[in-house]
Amino acid sequence: MANAEVIERVKKVTARVLSLDPSTIENNSNFVFDLGAESVQSVELVAAFEEEFGIDMDQDAALAVETVTDAAEFIAKHL
Amino acid sequence: MADKGSASGASALSLQEGLDRIFRPKSIAVLGVTNTPETVPHDIFVNLLSSRFQGTVYPVAPRKRHIAGVRAYDYVLDIPDEVDLAVLVFPGRVCEKALEQCGEKGIKGVIIISAGFREVGEAGIAREEHVKSIVAKYGMRLIGPNCLGAINTEPDVRLNASFARAMPAAGNIAFLSQSGALCTAVLDYAQGKGIGFSKFVSLGNKADVDDVDMLRYLADDPQTSVILMYLEEIRRGRELVEVAQHITAASTNPKPILAIKGGRTAAGAAAAQSHTGSLAASDVVCDGVFEQAGIIRMMSLEEMFNTAQLLAYQPLPRTNRIAIVTNAGGPGVMATDAAIERGLELAKFSSATTAALKKALPAAANMKNPIDVIGDARDDRYVAAMEAVFNDDAVDQVLVILTPQSMTNITGIAQAVCDVHARHADKKKTLVASFMGTKDVSAGIEILQRHGVPHYILPEWAADAMEDAVQYRTWRDRKRTAVAEFTVKKDQAAAVINKAPEGYLTEVDALKVLDAYGFPLMPFELSKSADEAVAIADRIGYPVVLRIVAPKIIHKFEMKGVMLNLKSADEVRKAYTAMRDNVLKHVTAEDIHGILVRKMIPAGKEVILGVSRDHVFGHVIMFGLGGIYVEAFKDVTFRMVPISQATAGRMINNLRTSAVLRGLRGEAPSDIPAIENALQRLSLLARDFDRIAEMDINPLIVHPTGEGCHVADVRIRLENR
Repeated sequence: MANAEVIERVKKVTARVLSLDPSTIENNSNFVFDLGAESVQSVELVAAFEEEFGIDMDQDAALAVETVTDAAEFIAKHL
Repeated sequence: MADKGSASGASALSLQEGLDRIFRPKSIAVLGVTNTPETVPHDIFVNLLSSRFQGTVYPVAPRKRHIAGVRAYDYVLDIPDEVDLAVLVFPGRVCEKALEQCGEKGIKGVIIISAGFREVGEAGIAREEHVKSIVAKYGMRLIGPNCLGAINTEPDVRLNASFARAMPAAGNIAFLSQSGALCTAVLDYAQGKGIGFSKFVSLGNKADVDDVDMLRYLADDPQTSVILMYLEEIRRGRELVEVAQHITAASTNPKPILAIKGGRTAAGAAAAQSHTGSLAASDVVCDGVFEQAGIIRMMSLEEMFNTAQLLAYQPLPRTNRIAIVTNAGGPGVMATDAAIERGLELAKFSSATTAALKKALPAAANMKNPIDVIGDARDDRYVAAMEAVFNDDAVDQVLVILTPQSMTNITGIAQAVCDVHARHADKKKTLVASFMGTKDVSAGIEILQRHGVPHYILPEWAADAMEDAVQYRTWRDRKRTAVAEFTVKKDQAAAVINKAPEGYLTEVDALKVLDAYGFPLMPFELSKSADEAVAIADRIGYPVVLRIVAPKIIHKFEMKGVMLNLKSADEVRKAYTAMRDNVLKHVTAEDIHGILVRKMIPAGKEVILGVSRDHVFGHVIMFGLGGIYVEAFKDVTFRMVPISQATAGRMINNLRTSAVLRGLRGEAPSDIPAIENALQRLSLLARDFDRIAEMDINPLIVHPTGEGCHVADVRIRLENR
């Protein structure tokens, strides 16, 4: 289970890449369906998460992640 | 026509209502739209706007305020008004969420453009199954996923829910395709030829709406008079045939169907064990079944649109009699050759026509068919020749050929040709043109196309289209007979078939089955000893044939398990002993069930009849000439069972080598009604017994007219289902 700090950092990065207000992003927000991430933005998000957390992720697996919580859990496994 | 209704589920709509929500929506939500030009999720929305859709469009784009100047919604559920059609361009993995919300919103028409379903493997298959369950749950109708979209050019709709580059012109041709990429090519091609469409749809993975549904819908579509299909995978083969038969030969408003069938492979040929099975694995089944359905099979897009133009814009020709009007001898000869090769006939002009031509044309002109108005002809000579042939009752179709020479007033002639046609519109004659060339003739071609006169670069293509139109006319006017129900002993056949294990029936059992269905058989009995064989032969009469009955021996002739034309008791006794001794070198005594004694069949023509199970069309029946013909030429034809007498007759006539049966060089013609009868009985047998996997009657020996036919050999393979 990802801790609250990782989730908050995921929200912050997501808000920056998608130009959104961080307070409007929920833990269960779907990057595409709720937050409107387009395909290029999804790739940008993966890159931004890698930079933020100093990790390398498998791109295909990372792009399959759908929600903020799922992303935080996926990232936590790499920390 | 009959409406089979929509997917099961809540408040299910009829097929008509469901597809009307897709093709004639009042309001559309596009889910997953983006602001990035030159991407599908963007262009599809812009296409809807630029095609001047006559309803309301709502973009659903999470966290975006507007798309292309139109206020956007985060979710489809946020749209305050009713929505008829949802177009989903979200990535495949979130389409399920979007679709569920569409269901909650009460939307009944859906197009999923997105890929990422069945075509990408296991995960995609599961996703598509989930999509189908949502569609069923809410009683929606779905086109796609993985498709180009749908277009309806009706002026009060103007729907372009696709990512094609441009909305096609309005017309009376409907095009449906499994391949989306092909659609864009077709649209571009058609635009270049000035061809318009009524409906245009790419069906993609066909998770819900398929070609059968679309045909039913188009049958009643007033804007559509010709239907074109590009098919790769057919799933509901029997229904496709039934609905196509209805549409192409309906008593009111029949519509021709032209189809390209791609992607049919020979897979399964290796598994087939009979002649029929191996031949059925080839594309020839599709040829036969399409013909049975009234579908005109096309081998290329060029051919399809060539024929479609004629059927869409011109009266259907009454007969195959044509007149050719040309300003060049060579192309006239080419056109004549092409026409004759395709079964068209050059009309014989009346004396009035000849007199009119003599009066109007120079002496050097050819007044007979093909009419050569000579190279220096201008529009006046074309008009004179065309007036003459349009007034001649012997002419039903007219092909006008032009080659551009220095004095040829191309546009003037094109206009004059169209004017003559219009003046004689009440005569309902078919007019096609071939202005040969590209650059110089282009302005003339444009005039022809604008007036609905199909134009072909080559006269051969014109002849192809005219031939197809005649074929369709012949189909529409064909003699129709119901499937005859012969008196058969079904119980007797069932007693054999139901108790037999999987695999081949023994020859005796196979003959019993045929006997029960009234096939013409020579008397036969199974003998267990030489004495018994002689007694049987004495009873049924000489000459006789002996045939070993041992399931382990497949190739009887090679094992010397067949002896023909035995004319006396002595010959029978010797043959019996020799055959048994020889066969015992290969199998044990327990493997031999006995030796069949059968009266010898008089000589005749050998034909092959067969049954095979096609994975798309179910049981299909085959007919071909036997012996070397079936092996060397693969000259066979197939139909889906059951068949009528008329269909049996067409199967026989369809063979390239059917003249052999009609009698060559003074030979007596074969008893074709007897073959028709055997084909119908075989069709009933296959219909009645699902366990029959494959069957060959090879050969059936056919005698001269009035003398019938006899089964010489039969193999029946059963399987459990």
